[in-house]
Amino acid sequence: MADPIHQFELKTIGAPLFKIGGSDIVLTNSALFMFGAVAFIVALMLMGTSARSMVPSRIQSVVEMLYEFVADTVRSSAGHDGMKFFPLVFSLFIFILVLNLAGMIPGGFTVTSHIIITAALAAVVILTVIIYGIMAHGTHFFGLFVPSGVHPLMLIILVPIEVISFISRPISLSVRLFANMLAGHIALKIFAGFIGSLLAAGAWGLLSPLPLALTVALTALEVLVAVLQAYVFATLTSIYLHDALHPGH
Amino acid sequence: MGKAFRLSTEFMAGILAGAGLGYALDTFAGTRPWGMIILLMLGFGAGIWNVMRASGFTRPPAPPPDRPD
Repeated sequence: MADPIHQFELKTIGAPLFKIGGSDIVLTNSALFMFGAVAFIVALMLMGTSARSMVPSRIQSVVEMLYEFVADTVRSSAGHDGMKFFPLVFSLFIFILVLNLAGMIPGGFTVTSHIIITAALAAVVILTVIIYGIMAHGTHFFGLFVPSGVHPLMLIILVPIEVISFISRPISLSVRLFANMLAGHIALKIFAGFIGSLLAAGAWGLLSPLPLALTVALTALEVLVAVLQAYVFATLTSIYLHDALHPGH
Repeated sequence: MGKAFRLSTEFMAGILAGAGLGYALDTFAGTRPWGMIILLMLGFGAGIWNVMRASGFTRPPAPPPDRPD
């Protein structure tokens, strides 16, 4: 049966570009997909916003719908003044969305199935929250860790729990996206592999339509998960930014 | 499925954060094994707190209503 992990393997493309500190900097398939995603997004946005007609063309209405969708998410989760972070949330959303969907193309590579990528994206979010929170509110930002209306003795336990809970946010943010993409693609590959194994096993081949049907269903589910996880990432980013904007509870 | 996955990662992240903090504290302050023990327990608490918050069991203070403009 085909190796289900093989699809996540990083491959270098071409010769090393240059050296930094003795290690080669090479173009990998992951980097290539990210460059491709950025190029695709920029092209889509430029094509969608160049005409600016009252009656939108197809591409313009796609771009407008994306804008409205993310803007609604930011407004409902981060509040009205959260719109100053709209460019960040929109960039994260569309980058993750395009990378997730690029992974659904047969033979494609799922960049977001590597935890280092999602951890870097989560680090961007949480550093924005911390740096903006401290810049805007000073030490008042740390009031986030002190729940209001509890007995002072309970604070000895509750403050460390709130701190750990805050530290766990980038972990859960990155693990959720990476694990969803990884698990989904592995499941898809395994069920697709069953078709070939059953066909090769003589009379058992009569059963092969069953995993085929499941693979088709799983593909649809994976497209849903790809979009849903990008949305969840954007929503949670907005919720965390809400804490940076209004830390006082 | 999405909801269940979200809650389980929230819980796991709390424990991981607690364990990581405890390990770091033990390594740098030389308090092995107490930092790990205490912070792992607090990590469990934080994980459960995360799950309660994510499932809406404890309603966080409502965000200020949007001003229409």
